[in-house]
Amino acid sequence: MRTIILDNEAVQALTDPAHRKHRVVVAHLAGVVASRRRGAQATATVPTAVRVEAGWDRSAPTAAAINRFRVSDLILNSDTANLAAQIVATTGVSVADAHIGSAARRSPATEIVVLTSDPRDIVLAAAPKVVTAIRI
Amino acid sequence: MPRGRGIFDDVVDLAVLDRIIELLDAEEESTVNTSMRLPAALRDAAALAVYGLGVASSTTSLTAAALRSVLETAVMAAGLEAHYHEHPGARPSLGEVAIALAGQGGSPLADRPDLIEQAAVDVTARHPGADAADILLWAEAQQAITA
Repeated sequence: MRTIILDNEAVQALTDPAHRKHRVVVAHLAGVVASRRRGAQATATVPTAVRVEAGWDRSAPTAAAINRFRVSDLILNSDTANLAAQIVATTGVSVADAHIGSAARRSPATEIVVLTSDPRDIVLAAAPKVVTAIRI
Repeated sequence: MPRGRGIFDDVVDLAVLDRIIELLDAEEESTVNTSMRLPAALRDAAALAVYGLGVASSTTSLTAAALRSVLETAVMAAGLEAHYHEHPGARPSLGEVAIALAGQGGSPLADRPDLIEQAAVDVTARHPGADAADILLWAEAQQAITA
């Protein structure tokens, strides 16, 4: 099972068709569709802290298009919030990146891919869980 | 995606799409007996797979999970198509999708987009229906041969 996690920059690129990386992020979602059509378990996800940072309000009329891409929320619950707090304390990464790290560490997925502008911070936040951090 | 109600001239009916999404996201625990007719042999195979192979906790959950998976894929594809219709420049090429797959899967060609783009050209010249995974597989095979 493969999970694609979007960071703030990836969300910014996805929500703005004029963004220079828009097509790159869309290509990754198209890749998820291609994998699923071949029977693979692949999903696209976004940690809710990333949504906050990126200003992605699913209830806003302007979010209608992006909501159709089926990028599901990774909720910050009590357990992942505790872990994210520990990640912030030990690594100094941002809250949103810490949520990505905690989500990655708790994920049951066998392959975790993060689309990010800062692979170093993501790898740091997710460690010891091994993730594929793709710079966009 | 097969053409049908909700898709007109390859344009996705957004009202239909949004309603499907709303239904998929509904946190409803109630179930219904449906009038869907399944081939008896398929039903029996599913029941046997649940009992003998442990593929799901019940035939109902197996059927629901399979149905949800197909619908989620169809909705995601339709959402992207709707986006491409509104923003034609947003549609990635087959090569770009293959490059994305290479990165996601940790392919040795993830850092060679030029080879993947060329593979897309070569493969689609003979196989217009090839998908991104076909392109990547072919590119990796070519690389292995020449390595």
